[in-house]
Amino acid sequence: MRETILLGLEQAYENLVHMIADFLPRLAVMVVIILTGLLVAFLLKYLLRFILHLTRFDRISEEAGASHVLRKADLPPMTELLSRSLFWMTFLGFTLLGISVLGIPELQEQISRLFQLFPEIFVAMLVLFVGVLASNFLSRAALLAAVNAGYRSPRLWSGSVRFVVWILAISMALEQIGLARETVIAAFSIFLGAVMLALAIAFGLGGRDLAKQTLERYIGDKGKEKEKEVEPSPL
Amino acid sequence: MPEEFLLSDDLLRQLMSVGEVDLLVGLPSHNNAKTIGCTVETIEETFQHGFPRERVVIVNVDGGSKDGTSEVVMNATLPKHPSSRGLTSLRTEHRIVTRYAAAPSPGIAFRTLLAAADLLRAKACAVISPETSNITTQWVGSLLQPVYRQNFDFVAPLYCRPKYDGLLARNLLYPMSRATFGRRIREIHSTELGFSGRLATHCLNQDVWNTEAVQVAPETWMAITAICADFPCCQAFLGPKEPVAGSSGTDIVTAVRQTVGTLFWCLESQERVWMERVGSEPVPTFGPDRELSSQKVRVNRKRIFDLFRSGVAELSPLLKSILAADTDAEIQRVATLDERNFHFDEVLWTRTLCDFAAAYHHSRLNRDHLLQALVPLYRGRIYSFLLEHQDSSPDEIEADSEKLCVEFERQKPYLIERWNAKT
Repeated sequence: MRETILLGLEQAYENLVHMIADFLPRLAVMVVIILTGLLVAFLLKYLLRFILHLTRFDRISEEAGASHVLRKADLPPMTELLSRSLFWMTFLGFTLLGISVLGIPELQEQISRLFQLFPEIFVAMLVLFVGVLASNFLSRAALLAAVNAGYRSPRLWSGSVRFVVWILAISMALEQIGLARETVIAAFSIFLGAVMLALAIAFGLGGRDLAKQTLERYIGDKGKEKEKEVEPSPL
Repeated sequence: MPEEFLLSDDLLRQLMSVGEVDLLVGLPSHNNAKTIGCTVETIEETFQHGFPRERVVIVNVDGGSKDGTSEVVMNATLPKHPSSRGLTSLRTEHRIVTRYAAAPSPGIAFRTLLAAADLLRAKACAVISPETSNITTQWVGSLLQPVYRQNFDFVAPLYCRPKYDGLLARNLLYPMSRATFGRRIREIHSTELGFSGRLATHCLNQDVWNTEAVQVAPETWMAITAICADFPCCQAFLGPKEPVAGSSGTDIVTAVRQTVGTLFWCLESQERVWMERVGSEPVPTFGPDRELSSQKVRVNRKRIFDLFRSGVAELSPLLKSILAADTDAEIQRVATLDERNFHFDEVLWTRTLCDFAAAYHHSRLNRDHLLQALVPLYRGRIYSFLLEHQDSSPDEIEADSEKLCVEFERQKPYLIERWNAKT
């Protein structure tokens, strides 16, 4: 019996040594991959930052209003944000690659799933980013047009435009990831339909006078007469 | 020509059949069939009486008219003058008609005219707008004579205006262009002008024709180019200008986007020239150098004031990012003033424009949005002007304009400081 126990212990010890001998090189490879990833991520980060500085990307972002949104959200400037994102994405990619080298089947499955989602997540983030730029640009254009035309509640116009573009961008991003595709489409259609109906009812019932005034302004002669005496010729 | 610009085969054929000319009058048009016949007749009458021996051509550049404008140009005939005895001229008076696109574009039309002037080696050219209903032979002669007979290269028009007309020119374009570029040309933006073949060739060779500023207001760009390149410039008084009845005119937002946009763009492209110029010099003027009529114009002042006030309130975050802190604070204060005691003085107006020009240069905002954000403030200044000059005589208005110009010249170092400031 004593011999059996000793044999068992010896077997266990051998197994452990074998496992460690098998695992340690993989761990070393993982560490090397992660360290290489760190180096590559740093290089890519500085390279992207350099290119963005060279192309004056911050100025473009400032013009489009994206920098303003980032400042409001207490985020770093656009150049910094993009280069940091690239750093973390590269580093994360290498880390996951390193972990997969360990050869743990459950982990490998999850990692391969995550890898498959990576391009979709990247595209979704890009869609959201373009959505932010477009919503800022268009809402500011709507605000200026409404202010200069003398419409009531210009911020409501501008806010509505921003909201619609945001909803559109979010639904496109979610669809890109493939998250509850049918639900997103249905929710978006219902939501947009409801907003349009609400606006139609509000304008038709609540704003009858405004509707009348607007039509008179554009179609009736009264409007034309009024317009004529509004402002002196600038040129 | 720096970048590819192709004239149509038909236009080239017409130009070759004309050969060389002394005088060229350009008529950019778009659906002007009602008035352009009369304009062509007036131009030909000017040729017959003022330039009987010169080789002349009228070039109509049409932007896709659907009312037969080009046909009217070709078929217009000069009615026989009772005093003439049959033969009026031994030369052929050429007319060229060309269509450049399906939609009007001032830049393409102007460039085509310059190319025609260059190819025909025209000595003096004039551009006349068929939108004006009261063109006389004196107009055309006044624009051509200084170039053809007195060696000027650029002739800006001067008009007799009702006192509330042309307020953008009076309050912004003239004072700012005078202070920066150093020449006292009142109508920096006009659809009528005269220029030499030399200036036409110079402008044609500039690599700017694809920029939006030049596309929308090429006349303004040409005026500033002539000033900056030290071409001899002058002004010629034309008389009252009356738009065609029923035409809506240019609205404030479009006018600001086109003219102020081009002025700011020229400030940027001619930076090295204007930064070195100090003060301003008058240019020779043929006829009176100003004339205001007391003709009443119906103006809804209350609406202008309301638009200013709501604009300042709604755009306050935008204005904060464009204006210097003290200018912004002062504008916010002015916007709280009572309608009857409102005053948007020349110091504040000048500093506002300097801040806007610098913000345009630093691209602090999308440039088109920036120009649109100026409109409410312009309305504030206009309201102040209208309030102040309800009963003013033309001389008083003129004195006030001069005060504004002097203030702009005084504030030029501030503009340079803001322009050069690092963002």
